[in-house]
Amino acid sequence: MSSQLNKTQKPNRLWHLVVKNLKSMIRDKANVVWLLGYPILFILLFRFAYGIEVFEFMGAGLLITGPVVIISTLASHFAEEKELGAIQRLITTPVSRHTILLSGLFSQLIVGAIQIVIILIVAALAGMTFHPNTNIFLLFFIPFLITFTSLGFGLILASFIKTSSSAGGLAWFIILPLQFLGGTFVQEPLVDFLPTSLAVKAMRSVMNLGSVSFDLVGLNLIFITLWAIGGIILGIILFQRKTAIL
Amino acid sequence: MEYAIETSNLKKYFGDIHAVDGIDLKIPKGYLYGVLGPNGAGKTTTIRMLSTILYPTDGEATVLGFNLIKEASEIRKRIGVCPQELVIYPRLTARENVHLIAQMHGIIKKDYKERTDDLLGRMNLLDRADSLSKTYSGGMKRRLNVLMAVIHEPELIFFDEPTAGLDPQSRRVVWDFIKEFQEKEGTIILTTHNMEEADDLSDELLIIDYGKIIAKGTPSELKRKLGEGDIIEFKISNPEKRDEVIELATTLDFIRWGKSVGKRRILLNALDGLRRISDIMDVVKVEMKDLSVRENTLEDVFIDLTGRRLRN
Repeated sequence: MSSQLNKTQKPNRLWHLVVKNLKSMIRDKANVVWLLGYPILFILLFRFAYGIEVFEFMGAGLLITGPVVIISTLASHFAEEKELGAIQRLITTPVSRHTILLSGLFSQLIVGAIQIVIILIVAALAGMTFHPNTNIFLLFFIPFLITFTSLGFGLILASFIKTSSSAGGLAWFIILPLQFLGGTFVQEPLVDFLPTSLAVKAMRSVMNLGSVSFDLVGLNLIFITLWAIGGIILGIILFQRKTAIL
Repeated sequence: MEYAIETSNLKKYFGDIHAVDGIDLKIPKGYLYGVLGPNGAGKTTTIRMLSTILYPTDGEATVLGFNLIKEASEIRKRIGVCPQELVIYPRLTARENVHLIAQMHGIIKKDYKERTDDLLGRMNLLDRADSLSKTYSGGMKRRLNVLMAVIHEPELIFFDEPTAGLDPQSRRVVWDFIKEFQEKEGTIILTTHNMEEADDLSDELLIIDYGKIIAKGTPSELKRKLGEGDIIEFKISNPEKRDEVIELATTLDFIRWGKSVGKRRILLNALDGLRRISDIMDVVKVEMKDLSVRENTLEDVFIDLTGRRLRN
């Protein structure tokens, strides 16, 4: 028996999987609430409860809160795929396991980028002001770099967790320390080397001082990048090992 | 004869557990091969190996002429897998779920859209095709699970208990679907606990227990293995006489075997059983209640070969 169906020479499996992931994410109301509602809530809370001065000073940290939530959504996504048996079903088709993994990461990056833009717009509408020399690219890029580090943390977590509900809950044991120790809700970071601490410092320099200097911004970005690369590599190794064909 | 699947001493161990323990198979192309076995017998593990989800611990296998380990990617282009679990994306619609599998197989959009609508219609899912699949009933989800295994017209399909939990109507829809695929000379591996399904659909059957093949053949060959003749089934009012009744009955030359089921129920395998019930009554001298005479069924064969003990 041979198939009568025509096949394309170069199927874009990665793109199809990314679209599938995005549809699944957008249709999950809890996901949308966490990704947008949580950071926007803090922006509005600081603006209207503490006044404009505190809001402006805390602004850098508040813009970092959103990308950290990606840890929870990514861990839930991969845990759900494992829970459903979807990864196993997909690997009986011609798609590779690397493509499945990459599709999960890409879709979270796309969501992360959209999230940052929406949060920046909400923050601006709420009255957040920026230094006249603020570099717009860095204003987007620093939170986006934190999204990358969140992918690593999320993947590491997803490797060990079997259900999406436990992944979503346990992720907060990583998210909250990163946010509170990293100084996203307080004046100064309590631990200096966390990616969130580095990002808050860099964001303050960009937003409040209009700086793009290597000492205040560049060096911090290098360290965040190292966190991101290290986390993603470790996450991929662990996840591949835990979902390997045995 | 061309074979869809050939295995030699195929094994899968999980630590000390020998899930599959040396299976030799030759499944001809175009056959519907039923695989029976109690829970935990090794059916699903065998299917998972042959569908490239698990690596064998030992042994050799070719699927559609390709080596199971070295040419897994070639196998994946040609097979369809309907897993025992409902593996569908809950926040995608039925149409999107089916399209996704077609896209993974690289089928062009025009072709997969037409075929998806055709299949959804035949599975009675078309009017809900654009609803999220998490809103479906259990039967609808299972039918969708089946569709996702066949959208790309595979040469070989693995159906792992495709009708588990389905109502009789849905079960028949799935059976018709499987038969239709078979008529197109596709090869099917079907695991099931439904003996009627296995008997009705299978060209050949395989019974596995404790990871080993314990019987194979056509359904009628297997039934003949248990003995020609009929099964006479009855209850006795006094359970203390159960063993005595079996002993007496088996002294008759036309009774091949007798066994008890529970305290009061007795099964006898008899040649020309219907006409000789009165002879049995004369010998056993007990009141026979709920008396019935029927042909051997696959379930009799299954129980005879695998016993009554529950498995994990």
